[in-house]
Amino acid sequence: MKMYNDIRILDKKKIKDLLKSANSEWNIYAPIEGIGGDVYFDILPKDDKIVDEVLNNLSIKNNSNIALSPKDIFFPQMEVLFNIDKDDFTETIESSPKLIFGIKSCDLKAVLFTDEFFKRNYEDVYYLSRMKNRLLISIGCLTPPRPGSCFCTSTGTGPFLEEGYDIQLVDAEDFFYAEIGSEKGQIFADKYSEYFDKRTDGDTAKKDINKIKTKASDAVNLKVDFDRAVELMQDDDFFPNDNYKRIGERCIYCGACLYTCPTCTCFSISDTVSSNKEGIRFRNWDGCVFEGYTREASGHNPRYEKYLRTARRYEHKLKYDFKVTGTSGCVGCGRCLESCPVNIGMSKFIVEITEGKRII
Amino acid sequence: MAKTLTTCPYCGCGCGLYLSSNNKMLTGVFPSKNHPVAKGSLCVKGWNSYQFVNSKERLTVPLIKKNGNFVEASWDEALTLIVSRLKDIKNNSGSDSIAFFSSAKATNEENYLLMKLARAVFKTNNIDHCARLCHASTITGLVSTFGSGAMTNSINEFEDAELFLITGSDTTAQHPLIGTRIINAVKDKGAKLIVVDPRKIELVKYADIYARQNLGTDVAWINGVMNVIISEDLHDKRFIMERTEGFEELKEVVKDYTPEYVEEITSIPADTIKQIARMYATHKKAMIVYAMGITQHTTGVDNVRSLANLAMLTGHVGFPSTGVNPLRGQNNVQGACDVGALPDVFTGYQKVINPEIRKKFEKAWGVEDLPDKPGLTVTEVTDGLYNGNVKALFIMGENPVISDPDSNHVRKALQNADFLVVQDIFLTDTAVYADVVLPGATFAEKDGTFTNTERRVERVRKAVDPPGAAKADWEIISEIADRMDYKGMKYNHPSEIMDEIASVTPIYGGIDYDRLDPWGLQWPCPTKDHPGTPYLHKDKFSKGKGSFVPAHYQAPFEQPDEMYKFSLTTGRLYWHWHTRTMTERTNVLEREAPEPFVEMSMEDAERLSIKSGERVRVTSRRGSVEVKVVVTDRMKQGNLYMPFHYREAAANVLTSNAIDPQAKIPEYKVSTVKVEKL
Repeated sequence: MKMYNDIRILDKKKIKDLLKSANSEWNIYAPIEGIGGDVYFDILPKDDKIVDEVLNNLSIKNNSNIALSPKDIFFPQMEVLFNIDKDDFTETIESSPKLIFGIKSCDLKAVLFTDEFFKRNYEDVYYLSRMKNRLLISIGCLTPPRPGSCFCTSTGTGPFLEEGYDIQLVDAEDFFYAEIGSEKGQIFADKYSEYFDKRTDGDTAKKDINKIKTKASDAVNLKVDFDRAVELMQDDDFFPNDNYKRIGERCIYCGACLYTCPTCTCFSISDTVSSNKEGIRFRNWDGCVFEGYTREASGHNPRYEKYLRTARRYEHKLKYDFKVTGTSGCVGCGRCLESCPVNIGMSKFIVEITEGKRII
Repeated sequence: MAKTLTTCPYCGCGCGLYLSSNNKMLTGVFPSKNHPVAKGSLCVKGWNSYQFVNSKERLTVPLIKKNGNFVEASWDEALTLIVSRLKDIKNNSGSDSIAFFSSAKATNEENYLLMKLARAVFKTNNIDHCARLCHASTITGLVSTFGSGAMTNSINEFEDAELFLITGSDTTAQHPLIGTRIINAVKDKGAKLIVVDPRKIELVKYADIYARQNLGTDVAWINGVMNVIISEDLHDKRFIMERTEGFEELKEVVKDYTPEYVEEITSIPADTIKQIARMYATHKKAMIVYAMGITQHTTGVDNVRSLANLAMLTGHVGFPSTGVNPLRGQNNVQGACDVGALPDVFTGYQKVINPEIRKKFEKAWGVEDLPDKPGLTVTEVTDGLYNGNVKALFIMGENPVISDPDSNHVRKALQNADFLVVQDIFLTDTAVYADVVLPGATFAEKDGTFTNTERRVERVRKAVDPPGAAKADWEIISEIADRMDYKGMKYNHPSEIMDEIASVTPIYGGIDYDRLDPWGLQWPCPTKDHPGTPYLHKDKFSKGKGSFVPAHYQAPFEQPDEMYKFSLTTGRLYWHWHTRTMTERTNVLEREAPEPFVEMSMEDAERLSIKSGERVRVTSRRGSVEVKVVVTDRMKQGNLYMPFHYREAAANVLTSNAIDPQAKIPEYKVSTVKVEKL
């Protein structure tokens, strides 16, 4: 249910100044293009002298291929839980204000999904503190950033969303339409109204926006029968043995699919302590494709064989997430396929089980 | 949160990756999408390469051994002691009583400085590093046949190959992103795969032909393949005539190696030899890929030459997606060799015995009388320490107690040293023997370059400061030089060191840090406008005409006998890296492979009544370890396999230090052992 009808105009030429202006109040994470053309979220420096240089590489193209989702802003790949000093320990928690600018719709959906995960059953103080004071300004893709890999229209997670964002930017070439989606977004747009121009003819804007959004959806070339895949996987008797075996054999167990997946949240906890009893307890990304992940203290492993670990991964995303939350864990971002060195990915698995093809 | 583009510290693939960091420490890693090798992927080690950097077991202050215990010291104390002791030893016992082990993990700049320290300051050519233990036979073998010892083609060319001949390389374990290119080419593009390996490696499941030869019989099977190619008229006569010399001598040698004779020696069926020959000869884009299984033998050089002969025989070199491709293991072993951390050459393989070359370096370094005879190799240094000829050893980033053959001998040798300095990031199994330990920096904590296996010189960038008082290795070496009153190591930044390297090294001539953005340059890159070289020996070999250098089969040094019935071979796992100092401090990796093991064939296990999981004692002429057994069809009857990573059951306690006479590389791949149930 959309509560906010406000649509503003954000001139593209003014974005750098907007971010510089907001930089005093927020820690801003924006997509930056690095030396070789890779795009990743980076935090804007506070130093005025350097921030201009960084902003020269701001990547707000409508199809920026952002390497990692902003999952690691709230759930870092390695994070210190507490510092150990002999017999004392001090917890490390932070809730600095974070503005995530330029997040894509699929990644935004994933963030909302992981928000729920870290609240459900057990409140994860580390994640929940980090996301407490947060503003999400998304940019919808007009063309797929990972053509051939991403499939947000099949998962219903993009290229634009109806809700969940604080502000959703719709690319209209020289400017963005800024759709306000929450009270936080409203407050931000009002505070920075110098950049968020109120002058729009509401009806023309809405027509234009719908045209842009429709064109963007049509541009998503990879389509898979996601709903059918989820439906098949709900059936406890459905176990695509042959598919799991082939995937399990081809997989090289690099972990990329889990590490790049915006909704994967598994982690391991370890200590590292020096000889004079100083150190840290940390947690870091772990994953279900590794054999040791389900190995029990006795040495027994209910998922020792490779195909059982493959099954684990796909059942988690397509079956159990849905059973438990009503939403699937896959947001169609396509990063698993893009980062897999042997060309395995969710879209291919879905094609295999829904169309009976063998493409992996 | 900053994101720093750098190069993976693990293997010779040299994947480009980003280090994520907050202002205190690394927080993660992700691959570069546009990097030519990574292409958005990494292996599990690369993905987890942030963790060991953050370990609280890092060395953070210099340590000096007093009364058998390490005591924390200041840099001044430690370096003063080092300089005074080395000066004494040099004056009393001569320059050549001091030796240096450089590091295939450290940057090019650091390797260059350590060899410059050894030569210009201490006037010794006793500088070597672990390439001696892995690809020394490659360098000797390929220099004599092609004129250049490096991998001839590039990693991306694997994607378009029609055929791979993989021998002595467990590619998916040790060079994952090359292994995956092979898998993709075979599965998605129909490329052919021939695997010749005594162990049934992962890639065998994709192979069109798999041959399991007896250990150390590679010259025989390769000669056999050439015998068939010649007798069936499949050789490339035009290539041979225009591009090579010595074909008649080759023909003369391989004519004895009929498939039937080869079967006797190798146990590969005669028919399989024929199939391999026909398949390899008739596919134009055919790549030979090899690693330790070929090099780590007393006949390592002959093995390498035989592969080179095979490639020349069929004209499979000097074109894209062909060639002879030795996969260099360490992230910078190629670079460490390129910049001269070797006893017989300066940078760029320019020989120390050449007076013109010596003059050039004397001029560049502002010294006179650079030593003119090749120095000692790593195993010769170990022997030298043992018998007292070598009195002092300076080790940077190496762990010979676990990595060198005959560990017991290495330990005794180190204990016998008058003075031992170890510069490393952790207190390794070797560092515990040191008189002085210096805390160095990891790849994440300094600027520099690594050169990957396809000759790509790539940037390494600092993302975080080293912990405590630890320093970048190039800074430490520079300070030692300064304290030795040598003024030629005053660099403000590693880029200046690379500029110096480029000025004296023709193959690196066109390299500077600006030109290395974004994805490095593949040498030869002789001038500032040269774009780098994807594949070698186009139109002519580095030495002009390629030389056939035929070899006869010679058996490995140790053969099974009544006492030692088994042949043991060694190798590496996907999860661990070499002496495990980095990967044991990475929770996911350590969990996946926490324990040492010995692989035994099902036939042997049944005969000895041993089950998987049982512990046995494995004993060679050199030592003994207790280890659990894994019964598997990966090894054939009579052979055993152990990964060398684990100090708890160190395979190198057992291995022989018999060496190839030309390259001085030890025969890790064949030692005889006996097995007893515990």
